[in-house]
Amino acid sequence: MRATPLAVVSLLLAVAAPVAYILLIRVPIVRNHPGAYVAAFAVALALAVLALVRGRGRRWPAWIALGVSALLLAGGTWFNLVVARVPMTPTVLRVGERPPDFTLPDAEGRPVSLAQFRGKPVVLVFYRGYW
Amino acid sequence: MAELQGLGAELSEAEKAGVQVVAVSPDPNERSHTMAKGLHLGYRFLADRDLAVCRRYGLIHPRGGPNGEDVPRPATVVLDREGIVRWMSLSTNFQVRPDPGDVLRAVRALGA
Repeated sequence: MRATPLAVVSLLLAVAAPVAYILLIRVPIVRNHPGAYVAAFAVALALAVLALVRGRGRRWPAWIALGVSALLLAGGTWFNLVVARVPMTPTVLRVGERPPDFTLPDAEGRPVSLAQFRGKPVVLVFYRGYW
Repeated sequence: MAELQGLGAELSEAEKAGVQVVAVSPDPNERSHTMAKGLHLGYRFLADRDLAVCRRYGLIHPRGGPNGEDVPRPATVVLDREGIVRWMSLSTNFQVRPDPGDVLRAVRALGA
């Protein structure tokens, strides 16, 4: 088994995983499984280690693959578990209860209250902004 | 708005007419409005500029924004015709949003 092809596969996997995640962010099954790119970094790291331990021939591509995949695994794990984590909050929302009414301006600045939508099922979405 | 993608496509015209989407965000309205056009749903955008409603609802991710500012904790709530919460999903990871299929099922369960 030659080291270089393994190292190339490791590098391709490590780079392709986050690129694919970002490109397919609008596909719910992709977006909702961010752990998949972390797993891909771990596989890429394992391939780089395999290339170093078992591979023949040039070693420097395997060292590069090892460095890249190790950095991405550490960064990806940190991002997924620390940066992207949303803390539990003491919400007043309870299934089976009516949440407090509110009035907010719409896009044209007209006041709109939640209560005025009674009579229709409502999907109420709180989101951060553009994403 | 990722949680709503696919919802517009999957609901029939009659169902779309029977469901009201109310989107609350501190984001300046224009961008949200542009985004809503593609959803083809009964849609009202409401601007919670100072997060007063998010705070009252207990939906704040403290210092969760890119510049350390407070941001809403993403949440999707399905209310029935009487305004009672029938289904909800609160985010624990900002990359993860409810599956549009789950929102759709919750809406259909109300006979929308």
